[in-house]
Amino acid sequence: MAAIVQAVNLKKTYMLGKVPVNALRGVNLKVESGDFLAVLGPSGSGKSTLLNLIGALDKPTEGKMLIEGVDVSTLSDNQLADLRRRVGFVFQFFNLIPRFTAKENVELSMSIADMSRAERRKQAEDLLETVGLKERMNHKPAELSGGEQQRVAIARALANTPRFLLMDEPTGNIDSKTANEIMGLIKRINDEKDVTIIMVTHDQRLASQAKKTVQMVDGVITREVVN
Amino acid sequence: MKSRDVFSYSFSAIKLRKLRAGLTTLGVVIGIAAIVALLSITQGLQATITEQLQTSFATDTLIVSAGGGLGAGIGGRTGADSGFRLLINYTQMINGLSPNITTSIAIIQRAGFIKSGNITRVTTIVGVDFAEYSDIYSSTFVNETGNIPLIPTNETVVVGKRISDPWKNATLFCSADDDVEIKWTNATVIPAKNETHTGHVAAVLKEIGGFGVGPSDFSVYIPISKAQSFFGTDECDMIIVKLKNDDKAMIDSVSEAIKEAFSNEASVTSATAVLNILSSVFSVIELFLAGIAAISLLVAGIGIMNIMIVSLMERTREIGILKALGMKSRTVLLVFLSESVIIGLIGAAIGIASGWVLANVVARVFRGGGGVFMGGNQAATGAGAVGMTITPVLTPTVFLGALVFGVGVSVIFALYPAWRASKLKPVEALRYE
Repeated sequence: MAAIVQAVNLKKTYMLGKVPVNALRGVNLKVESGDFLAVLGPSGSGKSTLLNLIGALDKPTEGKMLIEGVDVSTLSDNQLADLRRRVGFVFQFFNLIPRFTAKENVELSMSIADMSRAERRKQAEDLLETVGLKERMNHKPAELSGGEQQRVAIARALANTPRFLLMDEPTGNIDSKTANEIMGLIKRINDEKDVTIIMVTHDQRLASQAKKTVQMVDGVITREVVN
Repeated sequence: MKSRDVFSYSFSAIKLRKLRAGLTTLGVVIGIAAIVALLSITQGLQATITEQLQTSFATDTLIVSAGGGLGAGIGGRTGADSGFRLLINYTQMINGLSPNITTSIAIIQRAGFIKSGNITRVTTIVGVDFAEYSDIYSSTFVNETGNIPLIPTNETVVVGKRISDPWKNATLFCSADDDVEIKWTNATVIPAKNETHTGHVAAVLKEIGGFGVGPSDFSVYIPISKAQSFFGTDECDMIIVKLKNDDKAMIDSVSEAIKEAFSNEASVTSATAVLNILSSVFSVIELFLAGIAAISLLVAGIGIMNIMIVSLMERTREIGILKALGMKSRTVLLVFLSESVIIGLIGAAIGIASGWVLANVVARVFRGGGGVFMGGNQAATGAGAVGMTITPVLTPTVFLGALVFGVGVSVIFALYPAWRASKLKPVEALRYE
């Protein structure tokens, strides 16, 4: 099967003031279309940095980050922005725009992708129905629970029919019951919509629900498990 | 992202911080209102003065004075440093200079007083040939009461409307058929001597309004022959030359001919020249006032920059989200610039409307307060104010200029914060707390 994401000897070094921090120290990873991969690791292991590089939010210091065969480090800022439109992001803290309703938040990513108003309205309604928020679509984030906000974020991530979803601790900021519901939704999206999912988590229990798990420690992948 | 969506997004950001956006817009409103108000009033004033000059200062006439130009001429005494004297009988010589000259008349004028009953008022005593003066200023040297005799006697006096009715009510200072005393102080002899002449008011002129070198509401007119003996001089302050028409080429050629005839010692001024000078003066005044007003707009611009930088810091995470969703740097720049365009547009629109209202209020206050204090000549200035109605003028140039300037300043001052926003790295922006 073709690799949708491939990291080859991926290294990323940040400057923390004047001190260099080696966040990634040679990561090799291959994610195939339809995969549900969990990246498991403690805080500071480099899993979020890896997710940022996969999502074209950042460029590697060394090595190659290939998205659908294209090396991210060779792309211009505009090309990276175009690439990000084909990627769905779900963040731990939801990152919704507080002044917009659930529907407007979902519409926003489609509006950035130049979709017509009528088309994106319908698409947003359909997506919010998929995540079970049809009745709450005209509420603002402050009027929604954590789980509901994360559902909106998932609907927004799916808006531009992405090839893969990147999730950074998607259940890290919600209670365990809601977390289970969200995980159920994520698995359903992976199964029914055939969307590749890469999820970063430090929770072993959640990681075990993915099809595959990679363990990261100190900027390298130490273990790869098929669940 | 489509332009409409960019504007819609920016507008939603402005709406979120209504008070802050309102205060930022207020800065633009004040700046634009000041510019519009000052320029509309100045242009209105210029239009009024120009119109009144064209009415009172016949455009088919030239004014010959002894050196120093028109300013010295209407000031009362001729001011030729070279000793050149403009004599009353030069009119005959001027009449023969060009077939384009219809006639010319000499005018003598002095600052003086007029006494009726127990009241004495300051005035300008003007000696003219009544027949020719009526001919040249046929629309302004017109009687309201009494009759202007074409062959006057030595005692004949014609007074301006504001001499007869200085208080603009039913109480008249003098009227037709009254006897008045006219006085002036002859300072050319030592000691200075007060000269008095008793005259008979033959007519009161219709109200002229405004000012100029022609007839004035504040002057007292006596026959030129009487003025010669009363002022003890054969010298005049100016000679008005009436031409066949107001063709510019003809005005220039006759002006040259007159200057040559007097070996360039006499000044020749045309209405057109005065209007041109006036136009230049007003241009400088407008520029100066607009410059002052523009400073307040610059202050508003700095306010916009300040607010935008604060907004940028508050919305760093939001910018990170937008970039993570695939928004290009250029679009982020446009989002911020659109906010400044919206603030600039709203500010400029309200500013123009407020400036226009302000200009009209100021014009009304001036009208109510008895008019702008601009005298027709020295004595008239001393005698009182000419009631001038200023109608503020809002030209399309001022309107569009204010709009463009308001939006321009907003955009220019938003450029730096917008550029900084567009350059934010998505990863760093998303981490920003």
